[in-house]
This record gives sequence, C-alpha cells and structure tokens, in this order.
Amino acid sequence: MFIGAGIIVGPGEPTFIHLVDPSEGTELLSRLGIVLLLFFLGLEFSVGRLTQARRMTLVGGGVDLAVAGGGAVLIALLLVGPGVEAVLLAGLVYISSSAVITRALFDFRRLADPETDMVLGTLLFEDLAIALFLGVAAALASGRAAGPVEIAGTALLALAFVAAFLLAARYAPRVVDRVADRLEREQLLLATLALAIGAAALAEAAGLSEAIGALLAGILISESEIRDDIEQQLIGLRDFAAGIFFFSFGLAVDLGRAGEVAGWLALGIPVAVLTKVAGGFVAGRLVGLTKRRSLNAGTALVARGEFTIILSKLAAGGVALDAAFREDVAIFAGVFVVATTAVGVLMMRESRRAGRVLFPSARPRDPSESRST
Amino acid sequence: MLEVRETRLPGVGTKFTMDTHRGESVCTVVHMDGVRELYHVTEDEDGEPSRIVLNDEEARQLGAILGGVIYRPQLVQDLEVALKDLVIEWIELPPTSPLVGLTVMTCRIRRTTGSTIVAILRGSGAMAMPHPDEVLRAGDVLVVIGRPEAFPQIRRMVAEGPPAE
Repeated sequence: MFIGAGIIVGPGEPTFIHLVDPSEGTELLSRLGIVLLLFFLGLEFSVGRLTQARRMTLVGGGVDLAVAGGGAVLIALLLVGPGVEAVLLAGLVYISSSAVITRALFDFRRLADPETDMVLGTLLFEDLAIALFLGVAAALASGRAAGPVEIAGTALLALAFVAAFLLAARYAPRVVDRVADRLEREQLLLATLALAIGAAALAEAAGLSEAIGALLAGILISESEIRDDIEQQLIGLRDFAAGIFFFSFGLAVDLGRAGEVAGWLALGIPVAVLTKVAGGFVAGRLVGLTKRRSLNAGTALVARGEFTIILSKLAAGGVALDAAFREDVAIFAGVFVVATTAVGVLMMRESRRAGRVLFPSARPRDPSESRST
Repeated sequence: MLEVRETRLPGVGTKFTMDTHRGESVCTVVHMDGVRELYHVTEDEDGEPSRIVLNDEEARQLGAILGGVIYRPQLVQDLEVALKDLVIEWIELPPTSPLVGLTVMTCRIRRTTGSTIVAILRGSGAMAMPHPDEVLRAGDVLVVIGRPEAFPQIRRMVAEGPPAE
C-alpha cells in the first residue's frame, strides 16, 4: 500500500501525480526504517525464543532455502551468468518480506492458524540468513572484495562481528539492565535508538552493511529485561519508519521502464512465485500440516519486500559491478517487489478457496457435529 | 486440567491457545504493541475464523469481566470487616453439573462443607436467602459464604455432585 502511494506521487512513469521527489529527507527516513526493522528482528533472536520455535524454523527455513533459494540461484545464473552479479540477484529474488507478510497474515485473520507458526519461523530463518548474506554482499558490491581471498576475508569479518555480538549478548543483559535502571523512560528510548543507529554506523564503517549492525544491536539486548518494554514503546515508530521506507521505495519505482527488463521479469516472477509456494507446501507437509494448510503456508511466503529493496540498492550502488546490471537490477527489483507482493497477497486471500477446490474433503461434513444445546 | 499452549509468533507477539470443555478452541494473540486478537477456532478448516480485535484498554476490561471481578469489588469491600475469616465466592453451575436439578437442601453444600448459599444469581435477577426447596438451574451463580478451606470441596461438588450419604 505504501509502495503504491510512493509510485503514484513519485517522479517515475506512469506519471499519475508528481508531488514528491526522492530527497535526502525521504532517504534518511527510509534508512531509519531499515535500521529499526532489523533492530526489532534482532530482538526476536533471543536464545529462549529461538529454541521455542526451533522445529518450525529449521524445517520451514531449510526446505524454503533449498527450493526457493535454489530456484533463485538458477534464475540468477540463467540471467546474468556466474559472477558477483548472480550472487546479489539470487539473494534479492530469494528473500521474502516479513513486513508485508506479517501484515497480510493479520489482515486475513491467519495468526491463529497452525501453519502461521511455520510461516513466521521460516521468515525468521530467512531474515537471519539474509542478514549474514548482506555483510558479504556489501563487500562484494563495493569491490573491496574482488578475489576469493578477500571474499573469504569479508565473510570471516562478518562472522567475527556476529560472534562478538553473540558473546556480548551473553553478558550484556546484566550491564544493560543496570544501566536501564538508572534511566528515565525517555532516556532509555533515546539510548536504545542511539544503540541501534550507532551499531549500524559501526558495521558500515567496518565494511559490512548497516543492516547487520542494527540486527546485532537488537540481539545484544534481546536477553535483557527491558526488551518487552522497548518492543512496546518503539513498535509504533518501527511501523511508521517501515511505512516511510516502502513509500520512498515506491517513489523510486519507474514502471514505465519495466519493458527494459521484460526478459528478467518474465522468467523471474513466475519461478520466484512457484518455488515459494512449492517450498512452503512441502515444508508444511513435513511438519504434519494438512494439504490445505500447507498450501496456505506456501502462498503466504510469496511476497517480497524490504530485503529485496535493500539488496537492490546495494547492487545499484555497487561500483564494482557491471554498469548495465546496476541499472537493470534497480528497475527489476522495483517491478519484482510490486508484482510479487500483489500476487502474493492475492494468493493468500484466495488460498483457502483454492485449497477447497484442489483438495476436496474426503468425508462430507456432518451437520450433527454442530454444537448441540 | 486446563492446558494453555503458548507459542511465540516472531515479529508479531505471543499466541495462547486454550481448548474449552465443549471442544472448541479459543486463541488469543497478544501483539507487541498491546493489541489483542481473539479467535474462535473451529475444527472446520473451510470457514473463515471469527475474530475480535481489541485495543489494550478493551482487552483489560474484557479480561476483568471474564475473570468475574466486575461485580465483586464493592460487595467484598463492604463485607470484609464483618466477615473476618469467612469468604464469599461466586460459583457458577455449568449445565453439566450434577447439582443442576437438586434443591438448595438436597445439594447438601451446607451439611457437607458448613458453608451457606446466601444468594442465587439467575438471569438478570438475584434471589437473596433462597428457600431450601429452591431448585438449582444450569447457569445459576451461587453466592456462597464459608471458610476459605471449604471452597475446593464445594467446587468439587459442583463438578462431581454431592457425596454419597
């Protein structure tokens, strides 16, 4: 919805109304949106919470990575051939949108359904995987890692960064809680924001993506007692910033130039949609869901969003990449996100009905089962 | 025993699922921003589940009503001094209770536990000091006064019926 608004009032084709130009202001807010989205993601990664949903996360995420991730790699190889460009393209095709899907699950009254546990677990898995991927991708795109040695070096740096934060997270809660006790509420919120943004800046300075820094800042305080407090206080800000993020992305989308990447879109969108549905369906069956519910799970994974956008920005700004690719990838990602989100949300809405048609009940419904008084 | 299953929904909040005695399922999703969703989950996969979305204040109010605290407070406060170590409890008779159809006397709450039914709340009305021959009906709320240790036994009687003579 925010994307749509951005497209409409933005400068790109089709020119509906040209109200807002992408500016430093929208750019800043959208970066803040990303930092907060990832910071909140980090808060989810407390060890306790992860082990609770372990099975769903691992099965759902694993199958999804194999099927949809594999599909994305295939698409990328076919379209741009082996190389750094393919790595980035595969990443941005693969990753689903937690923000869009979570919102849609709420809108379609799906949060109580058993398949939703798996869908959200899968998204968690994807987000963690892509956050690590981002660290490497940032280095690849900027050309600081050209040879295999440098690539390995960057990957190690990213891992070291993560390891350091995980270690810190074990001891941080005591420190965090002690500091938090002395702060007023406003100060606490400001300090938290400063931590998230500071960690993002630190990670960027270290040659990783700012996204990974924000994620790690979230992990850092995920075990502390102030976590729930922070979640409640800042979630409105996150939703707002995420809205700005999608809006400013919409500003930059130029549907008029979709023709230039028609080949990519024609191949990318169907494969990306089908592999997600298939992966979700298989994973659903593996964790013991019915066919209909598994179908619901598959369709719920289709929509792409924030990480696709982040990766496309990264690729578009990557000095080490092929110039034509950089231009194409920005246009592609824009249309790709809009298309998969639209298709994904539509499929979620219709998946119950589709499930009834595809997998009719074995036994007719028994009217006497309805409650007796 | 009543089982409430707690599930973490990453990025959303926490989900609590509870099966009722009639085989239905109530699912509460507590969002991080304080919004609560109540789902009535049926076995039937086809139907759209019915849902209620509550903000924080509404959720607390509903919780208080469900918890039975709404019509308690002023009465309890007034009586607290006079009662000393006696307690008043509100006990609802589910339709399945063996006490339904018995009278105030034949349900033998007083004889067994030493506690007294001081009132029966029925529908929108109330009956103070019910007659011993008053027949208990499904859905009645018994207002019982007695010593705290008597109430577990009373609840057992509501569920299982009066003990054999």
